[in-house]
Amino acid sequence: MSNKQTEQELEHKVDEVEVEKSPSGLTIFWKEILKDKLAFISLMFLVLTSLGVFGISLILDQEEIIRVDLFALHEPPSIEFWLGTDYGGRDIFGQLIIGTRNSLAIGFLVTLLSGFIGIVFGVVSGYFGGHVDNVMMRILDFFMVLPNIMIIIVFVTIVPSYNVWSFSLVMTAFLWMGIARLIRSRALQEKELDYVQASRTLGSSHMKIIFTQVLPNITSLIVVTMTLNLAANIGIESGLSFLGFGFPESTPSLGTLLSYATNPTTLEHRWWIWVPAAVLILILMLAVRNVGEALKRAADARQRRA
Amino acid sequence: MSKSLMGKYLFVLMLALFLVLAACGGDDEGAEDPSDDGSEGTEETEEQKEEEEEEAVDPEDQIYDIDDFSTAVSNDGDPIDGGSLNYGLVSDTVFEGTLNFNFYGGTPDFEILQWIDEALLSMDENYTYTQDGAATFEADQENNSITFTIRDDVQWHDGEELTAEDWVFSYEVIADPEYTGVRYGTAGFTLIEGIEQYREGETDSIPGIEIHDEKSFTINYERLTPSLLTGGVWTYALPKHIFGDIPVAEMEESDAVRQEPIGIGPFMVDSIVPGESVSLVKNENYWRGEPNLDEVTVRVINPSVVVQELETGGVDLVSSFPVDQYPENSQMENVEFLGQIDMAYTYIGFKLGDWDEEASKVNYMPDEMKMGDVELRRAMWYAVDNDTVGERFYNGLRWAGTTLIAPSHPDYHDDSIEVPTFEPEEAERILDEAGYEDVTGDGFRETPDGEELVINFASMSGGDVAEPIANYYVQSWQNVGLNVQLLDGRLHEFNSFYDRVGNGGNDDPDVDIYMGAWSVGSDVDPSGLYGSNAMFNFPRYESEENDRLLEEGISEEAFDVEYRQEVYSEWQEFMVEEIPVFPTLYRSELRPANLRVTNYNIEQGSGVYLHELGVTQEEPVVAE
Repeated sequence: MSNKQTEQELEHKVDEVEVEKSPSGLTIFWKEILKDKLAFISLMFLVLTSLGVFGISLILDQEEIIRVDLFALHEPPSIEFWLGTDYGGRDIFGQLIIGTRNSLAIGFLVTLLSGFIGIVFGVVSGYFGGHVDNVMMRILDFFMVLPNIMIIIVFVTIVPSYNVWSFSLVMTAFLWMGIARLIRSRALQEKELDYVQASRTLGSSHMKIIFTQVLPNITSLIVVTMTLNLAANIGIESGLSFLGFGFPESTPSLGTLLSYATNPTTLEHRWWIWVPAAVLILILMLAVRNVGEALKRAADARQRRA
Repeated sequence: MSKSLMGKYLFVLMLALFLVLAACGGDDEGAEDPSDDGSEGTEETEEQKEEEEEEAVDPEDQIYDIDDFSTAVSNDGDPIDGGSLNYGLVSDTVFEGTLNFNFYGGTPDFEILQWIDEALLSMDENYTYTQDGAATFEADQENNSITFTIRDDVQWHDGEELTAEDWVFSYEVIADPEYTGVRYGTAGFTLIEGIEQYREGETDSIPGIEIHDEKSFTINYERLTPSLLTGGVWTYALPKHIFGDIPVAEMEESDAVRQEPIGIGPFMVDSIVPGESVSLVKNENYWRGEPNLDEVTVRVINPSVVVQELETGGVDLVSSFPVDQYPENSQMENVEFLGQIDMAYTYIGFKLGDWDEEASKVNYMPDEMKMGDVELRRAMWYAVDNDTVGERFYNGLRWAGTTLIAPSHPDYHDDSIEVPTFEPEEAERILDEAGYEDVTGDGFRETPDGEELVINFASMSGGDVAEPIANYYVQSWQNVGLNVQLLDGRLHEFNSFYDRVGNGGNDDPDVDIYMGAWSVGSDVDPSGLYGSNAMFNFPRYESEENDRLLEEGISEEAFDVEYRQEVYSEWQEFMVEEIPVFPTLYRSELRPANLRVTNYNIEQGSGVYLHELGVTQEEPVVAE
């Protein structure tokens, strides 16, 4: 009897140990987001919008949407054109869907590419330190002093024809430095910790330590930074397109739709051309930021709400 | 925290909503105004009439006709004594302030100069010199000379008499090798006898010019061309008593040009705010009579505020008005819109060769260029609907062009010439017959040799509707099976566009066709644009017949206007046959005038002069 009880107690204790196992990073993120209603709604909105625009744009005929129709210029919203037409008689709703898709695609691509370069560069630089760090940071400094928006504009003008990929690459080339610096400073701290020393003593290679031990330990920082970068990158793309240095008008993006508003008549009398794009950019940015903020809190135990 | 955050979001959303509502409100207002407007003699297409049954005509759907515009203000009241008027100089930038006809370069300076100085010879509506100006002339065809006589009562603003020497002095300055301006080089100078000797410093005065007395002189030319009498002769004098002591190279920078400009015009400069405005007062001794207005202020205004300035009466007249803003503002209460045909046309050009730098002439090689086949070019003309482009994008204020001499030269524009109009079936028939057929089945035609045909279309950015128009043309050509693509997939900025098309002689071989525009001079002679030696001949087209006709148009026989008309009719018809370029749109020019303005006519040679310009009330009329 007493034995049985002891067994039960033991089982119970084992259970308790399992329960108390520290939750994984992703679970914390998820819990934090569930806890913060605004962040949850934002995340849902982001996911649905992304799925929506990528899904709908599969069935939309882009050729048809960017087709100039002389007999449907500046149509206000109607059953046929849900959000009216622009000065080329082109459906704004279709342009909004495809434009959002293009802007999001560029935002994601640039974030991923610049994140990848920045993380590798930063973690390698920070981990090795010393001369390696010195040289790599000077290279980074060089990129930082370049007036990058100007250079992107020049590139875009020179590159004879560009698409989502080439545009993303040009933007990436000048947008990886921020994240590289951040990761590097974190890696500098991280490499002084005992587990790195221990792993080294056990004979692990640098590559193994960097990518399987240090990197996972700074995941939370990476996730947070990249999320916040996403909003910034979408903004930069829209800004460039707005100024006329992004995509040509035949490839709609949120920025090109917005740039129609530079015409005083459009601004005043044809709200349907630019208001949806403007509101969408606003909401997208806020949503990404909300999610990012929630993740940021989750990454820092002191700020967590969950 | 969460609550206050929600508050912030609500605020942002409200802001967004407010913007939407404000925009809607603005739209309604715009739509209401012209609801009962059918009386302006506007033409509407069937389609629009159908729409009209449902709702009042949207100002954007209204079609206007430049012939319905008057060139003169309807206010025929008596001008008040001592009125003052504000003239808006519409420009993105400041004016340079080179205020002398002999030195100025930009249009903004010209807008100021027209008040303070004037040409000694007047022009009629065909830009031919008349005897109504401050001087008269007599052409002697046998001796190839023209004798000019200045009226007795013409004075400079400082009271000095205008003499023949002043006029000749302007020739000597402009022909001087040290001269810094851009006026030298036209036939009016280069054809003068002995001008080269003068330029090389062999003589102190120009041998071909003889001064007879205070008021008259004769210029001997190597030969006379009709161009001389349609703007070729230099008709702006330069006061020798002021400029005589200034070295030619320093004249342009001198105070007499920059700070105290002088002329013979109806108004004198009172004060200048550099780059911003010029105050003018009347010249009581103006030779045509004392001006009605006491003061005129010429002020630079930005194109984006033209409408507001006009509505509030800030300016009475403006130097130009953006045509695309007209439909929304056609009902402006305090302003009357004047209009006329602009001296310009838009066209589509086909590259048929390149520029031969050494020979300094075009290198026409149709067999090697994609667009070398005239049937292909003709089909492309048939494939585009210029009338609809003009109606839909410009509300009829631009309309389909026919020949390369625009109707702004009514004597020479031949509207009886039949030109291709929008007939896609005809375009397809021509292409089929010429052997352009789709043999690969990709939906696009190949060349008669079976090779792939991709036509690169260069077009300019800038201008509000540049992009949809360029895409419309691309679409139209694709509709008849021609694979036309925008060069590099986008529009090109003004300067780089003209560089690639051939301004400078380095034609980009990637450009096959392009859409450009020409503003034409007062002389109808098109050889500067289509002659075989002209750099501006961007299509690089050349033929004997073309050269012959252009030559005949400026020959001595062409002094006979009827003969010249025949030659240019023939030339226009020849160009419609050959199609190195085809005009797409003719344009109109709009000039709004405040309702208090009287005696104002924008037409060339109208016989209404600036000294008669007046206002019928002290304050400008303001929109309610």
